[in-house]
Amino acid sequence: MRKLFVAAVLLSALASCQTQNSLYTWYNSEDATYAYTKKGTEETLNEAMLQYEKVINNQRGLRRAVPPGVNAEYGFLLYKAGKKNEGLKFLQAEIQAYPESEQFISRIIKQLEK
Amino acid sequence: MRNYIILGVLSLLLTSCAKQITRGAQYPKMYEEQPLTIAVMPPINQTQHVEAKDYFYTTLYAPLCEKGYYVYSPMMTMEMFQSESAYDAELFLEGDLTQFRNVLGADAAMFTIIKSWKRNNVGGKLTAGVEYILRSTKTGEILYRREGLIKVDTSINTGGGGLFGALISLAATAINTATTDKVIAGRKCTVYVLSDMPEGKYGTHFNQDQGFTAGSSYVKATVQ
Repeated sequence: MRKLFVAAVLLSALASCQTQNSLYTWYNSEDATYAYTKKGTEETLNEAMLQYEKVINNQRGLRRAVPPGVNAEYGFLLYKAGKKNEGLKFLQAEIQAYPESEQFISRIIKQLEK
Repeated sequence: MRNYIILGVLSLLLTSCAKQITRGAQYPKMYEEQPLTIAVMPPINQTQHVEAKDYFYTTLYAPLCEKGYYVYSPMMTMEMFQSESAYDAELFLEGDLTQFRNVLGADAAMFTIIKSWKRNNVGGKLTAGVEYILRSTKTGEILYRREGLIKVDTSINTGGGGLFGALISLAATAINTATTDKVIAGRKCTVYVLSDMPEGKYGTHFNQDQGFTAGSSYVKATVQ
């Protein structure tokens, strides 16, 4: 029994090590964006937005930073949903976190504001 | 007999030695150019499954981010590719990529060629066969190239003995395989194949992984 307990503790320690090897925490965002790509309904969109919020607000990955593109995608969806100021705020946050994205994001902002 | 055993052991040793190649030796251009930003191109689909192209596209983003690269938002780039007639990546696979550098600021473009996208309900296997090619937008050169044929084992053993138990396991496997989305195989294929890719700027081993072992240029595996 004691051996089993030790094995279980070791396994869970290994599992947590694996989690810590990730640069970012993705939650269920991969499944949610896939579902939205497959079936672009209001329900799948809401779920994708919810997962993005988790990814943005609760990062536990090694970098403790929002993954590349997530602020941009979330902002883009907000803007398209009519929340223009909030959307622009997240698009700007992408440039701030990742200056290498400026060329692309500035172009997108220009297109949106046309 | 003894000689045969020695010969066998020696050839095994030689084979294993021959397969050991470092990332620095396998992908020297990755270290020369050190791309930071990657644009994921729409996949080139060589299978009969039309949906594979759009669905597989979604599997590329997170693994590349986890490798330490800046990857452009797949949703936004896909919209742009569709509006700018860049949806057919075949046109760019060997062509000039400077426009992706000028428009996106991308250092490299990741092309994928889907060669196999299958489901085998009875055997309990999902298969994804994909070739990954990363090309520099600056020089046009191939920085990274690897192909994988990954099978995902979806079989279920219910543990029951005899013919009845075997039939139950067979039925459970068929249901499990039929209800598992093929994109799961695509995801596992991407993670598996790109595992030996040198890390980008945000990776924990950026520019320190030249001595790590690189895999063979073609990899075949069955994963759970």
